[in-house]
Amino acid sequence: MTDAGLECDALVVGGGAAGVSAAAALASAGYRVELAEQRAALGGAYHRQPLDAADLRYRPRGVRAWSALMRDLTAAGVTPLCRHVFLGLDQDGLAMLDDRAGRRVVAVRARAIVLAVGAIEKVLPRPGWQMAGVTTAGGLQMLLKETGEVPPGDILIAGSGPLTLALAADLVRVGRPPLVVVEAGDPVARAASALGLAAFPGLLGEAAAHLARLLTSQTRWLRGATVTRIERADGRLVATVTGRRGAVSTLAADLIALHDGIRPNDFGLPAQPGGEPLVVRAGDCREALGIAAASADGRAAAEAVIAALSGAPPSVAPKAIERQRRAQGILKRLFAPVAGREVMAGLPDETIICRCEGRTAGDLRGLLAGADQPGLREIKLNGRFGMGLCQGRFCADNVRAFVAAQRPSNDISTTALSRDRWPLKPVSIASLIADHTPEGQ
Amino acid sequence: MSAGRFFWLGQSIGFRSGESVASALMRAIPADLGADANGSELRYFCGIGACQNCLVVIDGTVIESCLTPAADGQVVAPPGGAND
Repeated sequence: MTDAGLECDALVVGGGAAGVSAAAALASAGYRVELAEQRAALGGAYHRQPLDAADLRYRPRGVRAWSALMRDLTAAGVTPLCRHVFLGLDQDGLAMLDDRAGRRVVAVRARAIVLAVGAIEKVLPRPGWQMAGVTTAGGLQMLLKETGEVPPGDILIAGSGPLTLALAADLVRVGRPPLVVVEAGDPVARAASALGLAAFPGLLGEAAAHLARLLTSQTRWLRGATVTRIERADGRLVATVTGRRGAVSTLAADLIALHDGIRPNDFGLPAQPGGEPLVVRAGDCREALGIAAASADGRAAAEAVIAALSGAPPSVAPKAIERQRRAQGILKRLFAPVAGREVMAGLPDETIICRCEGRTAGDLRGLLAGADQPGLREIKLNGRFGMGLCQGRFCADNVRAFVAAQRPSNDISTTALSRDRWPLKPVSIASLIADHTPEGQ
Repeated sequence: MSAGRFFWLGQSIGFRSGESVASALMRAIPADLGADANGSELRYFCGIGACQNCLVVIDGTVIESCLTPAADGQVVAPPGGAND
């Protein structure tokens, strides 16, 4: 409590496309803006910046769009607070930022907070998914974008959705084609859904480019199949691939990248509609619509803040957002897994569901078989599912789906496993004690 | 290309300028980082600071290695027992 914390009109959390766009719009409208980013550099996931652009053996996607966003931000006079991790709002409505370089917590008094913390990937559980060497597809892509390379060894990609193809295509571009891309859906067979993509030439063009790269590198795209087990043998990872009609094969790899879609990274985020400070979400953490909607969504969030702070009427949602909502709907149908709910119901007992707490499918079955019919809250507090360090980011959806598969009549929400709570991330006691609160508190 | 080296369980790990601890560890030892505080295999997973699978101890603080830039001479340790 020694010197002043920060005061501003708007604190924007997250330095990806949505956050940068919101911060630039707010600052250029004359508001005092702070932009907090958890990493050492802006970019978010999509525009993750290379350590050294000269090392890249390919041109990253979206370079021009990102340059334009950064120009706007600089022109608006915003200097980002990098390595500042958002911990949440305290009981007085102060935003707490963990300043990782300064090793202290900074309190920010803002009239409005724009949360633009992006998406996380969904990863379905299967025995062995918790082992080292298994990453998310996005995680591997982050390494590739940052360093221009990926760790040594054979790579297997499995799961569902367009990102698996994007990663595979990028790996081909750096001369490291994956052994195989195992896709739970069968987009090729869903021609009716594919036709809908004709309205989205950008998406279609990107998909065609990815597929062309797979074809020329002779990378197999195995559709209607899932990796049902991962084991370690002779220092490598061995994936069991279950295809149509139960055909089973095994494949050894050094790295396995899993991805079963994306969802908003909205775990534990404060929600204060109409409260003080005003809290608005922008980009993928509001609705996972991807990069094509992110900048527009950031601007829309900025306009909502400006309307609330100035008393002006709020503007209508931009068309780009509705359009990307339709595109995502089509992609979801296109990549819908061939096998349905029975996958979750049939998980072997030893499957880890909550990695942080080491809780298994068998543990969850045992809980659900109890006479007292536990709700998600009891599953968390008694079963410790979603109790761990990741705060349920990677298991809450799966626990919900697992429960829903057993109790189809009783639909439940994921948020019951991850309520609004702070700190959102581990923070050292030393940093908390060294906190800086605005003067006059 | 190496901007410096940090120490992981006595092993010297080279890193590039601006590179995260996790990224440098993944290049050197992608699949054998030992155990985390709960006995699960410590690993790089999501790359965006969300999953907490890559927590390590640096300067006495438990921290996401994927969010932390590597520094020359830094001592990086697995979190086992450090945050009990």
